[in-house]
Amino acid sequence: MSSDRRTFLRGLVALPVLGALPHEARAATPPGRRRHWGMAIDLDRCAACNACSVACREENNVPSFGADPRFDGARPEWMSLLWQEPERPEGLPELLPLPCMHCEDPPCVKVCPVGATYKDPDGITMQIWDRCIGCRYCMVACPYSRRSFNWSEPTWTESEQQMLNPDVATRPHGVVEKCTFCHHRVRALCERARLEGRDLRDDEVRRLPACAAACPADAITFGDLEDPESEVSELAASPRAFRLLEHLGTKPSVYYLKKERG
Amino acid sequence: MNRIFATPRTTPRPSLLPTPRLGWYVLFALGIGLVALAVYAYSVQLERGDIVTGMRDLGRGGAAWGMYIAMYVYLVGVSFAGITVASIARLFKLHVLEPVTRLAELLTITALVAGAIAVLADLGRVDHGLRSLPELARPSSPFYGTFTLVVAGYLFSSVVAFFVTGRRDAARMVHDGPRVLRWFYRVWASGYRFTSEENARHGRTTFWLAITILPLLVVAHSTLGFIFGLQAGRPGWYSALQAPSFIVLAGASGIGMLILAAVTLRRMLGLRIPDASIHWLGGFLWVLCLVYLYFTIVEELTATYAGPALDRHVAHTIVTGQFSRSFVVAVGCLFVGFFVPFLQYLRAKPSVTGIAIAAAFVNVGALVKRLLIVVPSQTNGAYLALEEGHYSPSWIEWALLAGTASLVLVMVLGFARIFPLVHGEEPDVDRDAPLPRDPIRKLACLLWAAIAVALVFVGLTDSFRLWSGDELDPRIPFAPAIFATGVMMLFATAIVYEVLPSRRRRKRSPRIVDLARTRAAPRVALPAPIRATERHHRSQP
Repeated sequence: MSSDRRTFLRGLVALPVLGALPHEARAATPPGRRRHWGMAIDLDRCAACNACSVACREENNVPSFGADPRFDGARPEWMSLLWQEPERPEGLPELLPLPCMHCEDPPCVKVCPVGATYKDPDGITMQIWDRCIGCRYCMVACPYSRRSFNWSEPTWTESEQQMLNPDVATRPHGVVEKCTFCHHRVRALCERARLEGRDLRDDEVRRLPACAAACPADAITFGDLEDPESEVSELAASPRAFRLLEHLGTKPSVYYLKKERG
Repeated sequence: MNRIFATPRTTPRPSLLPTPRLGWYVLFALGIGLVALAVYAYSVQLERGDIVTGMRDLGRGGAAWGMYIAMYVYLVGVSFAGITVASIARLFKLHVLEPVTRLAELLTITALVAGAIAVLADLGRVDHGLRSLPELARPSSPFYGTFTLVVAGYLFSSVVAFFVTGRRDAARMVHDGPRVLRWFYRVWASGYRFTSEENARHGRTTFWLAITILPLLVVAHSTLGFIFGLQAGRPGWYSALQAPSFIVLAGASGIGMLILAAVTLRRMLGLRIPDASIHWLGGFLWVLCLVYLYFTIVEELTATYAGPALDRHVAHTIVTGQFSRSFVVAVGCLFVGFFVPFLQYLRAKPSVTGIAIAAAFVNVGALVKRLLIVVPSQTNGAYLALEEGHYSPSWIEWALLAGTASLVLVMVLGFARIFPLVHGEEPDVDRDAPLPRDPIRKLACLLWAAIAVALVFVGLTDSFRLWSGDELDPRIPFAPAIFATGVMMLFATAIVYEVLPSRRRRKRSPRIVDLARTRAAPRVALPAPIRATERHHRSQP
């Protein structure tokens, strides 16, 4: 219904002269099947070793700002472990590895005044660092608090500089950053598959993000939720599966698995 | 000498501008000092980053919004008074408010400018903000209304109203103002002559401006409420009551600030603002404070009695927990803002000082209440059991708070020295008075307004990405700026209508006696023998 109205309005208002305007900003939609990247985290397997958050920090050049107490509460985190004891909300498990939920209806995207955060056609909630103006509206809108602000210009020691991942841009002071499901890895793999003229296989994506690759307990599974054959889809359909704060209607793309909740 | 009347040199013409007293110099110097401190503080923030503020990440022990956003919301609230008072005075012909209308409009403009500075101080990358917002702003974000309707529409319409209503006094000041500023008065007067035709046209312009600005005022203040009220993921914010309560608190703080400014300037500059104006504003103040207190009770009762667990938790944190002291201060101040003017209202002879003290309390209460809206839902309103936060502003934020407030003070005090803040005597404005046919003016206005509407339509629809579907960028570059320009042009139609000179030659319209100039500059008839001599000289070849 709303799509019909939009089409009608578009037809009504589109003047012929506008058709002649350059049209470069169109987002590239990949040909073929539409994907919806998602993640399943098996809490019954998770050993709380923190390897996922360390690997994420290394992979995505997330600054740590050392032990300076001024930076307490100001150190960016893309993936972190949340212990919910003793006063955890009803129905939530005691331990939660928390990446960005990559919601299907993300509040952060709605509120961004300049489109610095947007939904990728493949379901990933992306952030354009260079476009972000640092208003932090996305941070206050995110019910999972999964966004971090660069409160200061990131500094790197000499050894850290040598370990920076060249595939991921470092973010300057004044921008918000977040987990991207290691989008650079996903993109590189898609490109390689395209050049080889084949579709992606589930086994090559299931441990693609750095957190999934680093998990020694094999608790994190990544994949295409649109593909009913994929492992992540099967896990998402499991009776053990649940999503966080479903009552808010954000439809997260991250599923958790737990035998007994609460 | 070819004039029949002349001003005798022995009686100097009293200036339309007041002479400042010592208090003016003290306050102005204090204001400049605080603005300078804020500039220094902001330079420190730019150099070292936002880590110098007390804000931190949400869910990791901090609040991502703090004093700057509270100050922004408060200042936009203060701006409420100007347009409301000026519009009410014009629409309902409330002559008792006329002496404060210009001061009110000035307060609106200065508060909006200071508010825009406060929100810019909050941005992590102000340069990107200034570049990206006009180019890429998206209406799906409640901030869009802030950047377009509040800053562009609301501010610009206030400037237009201020300009149009000030033309008559500017025309007076061309003759009576300081010599160095006469070019300024001439530009502002933009050819105003005290004719009955211009008077009638002026009446129509101000009436329609007042009519159109009032809905914009409601929309602009509601968008501020929507910034918080539309966030389902933040307990304590998500409420249909946010927008109306924002409007009411904006009214209370704005009227309070207007009372304070009127009383202060009356003392310092001897402005002729009668007690009756202050009493009327005091009456308005207690009504607004009472309504807001009612909203607060309803809000807290709903949240604590039957609200979801987290809304209850946030409400308890505010009323009896970590923020209870601030809550008591806010509610206490607002109660004083209701009770004291209400007592004055009941008395036969109300006290202006009492009303002014209550107005000061209301402003303190409003600022604290804004902080209570902004902060607790962030620090204590996480759905997941994240670390509860704490927020205390750093000296940088306090300095910027003082600086932005002082900027309003400095601008008002400074303006009072170059332009009369109380209207000169106005002829009765009759917007129904017949006007000669002026098809060129009508055509120019219609054309101008049509262009404005077209820009609004094109800019808004493309901002909504109606032509570009799911694309990230609008199809037309700077579509939001085009929308804002259209809104501004729409209000500028009033200027086109008033200022456009009539090209048709016709009989000169009779001049209205300008009472203000006549009183300010008493002119006496020359004695009969001198007049006879003049006539004799003129008759000579």
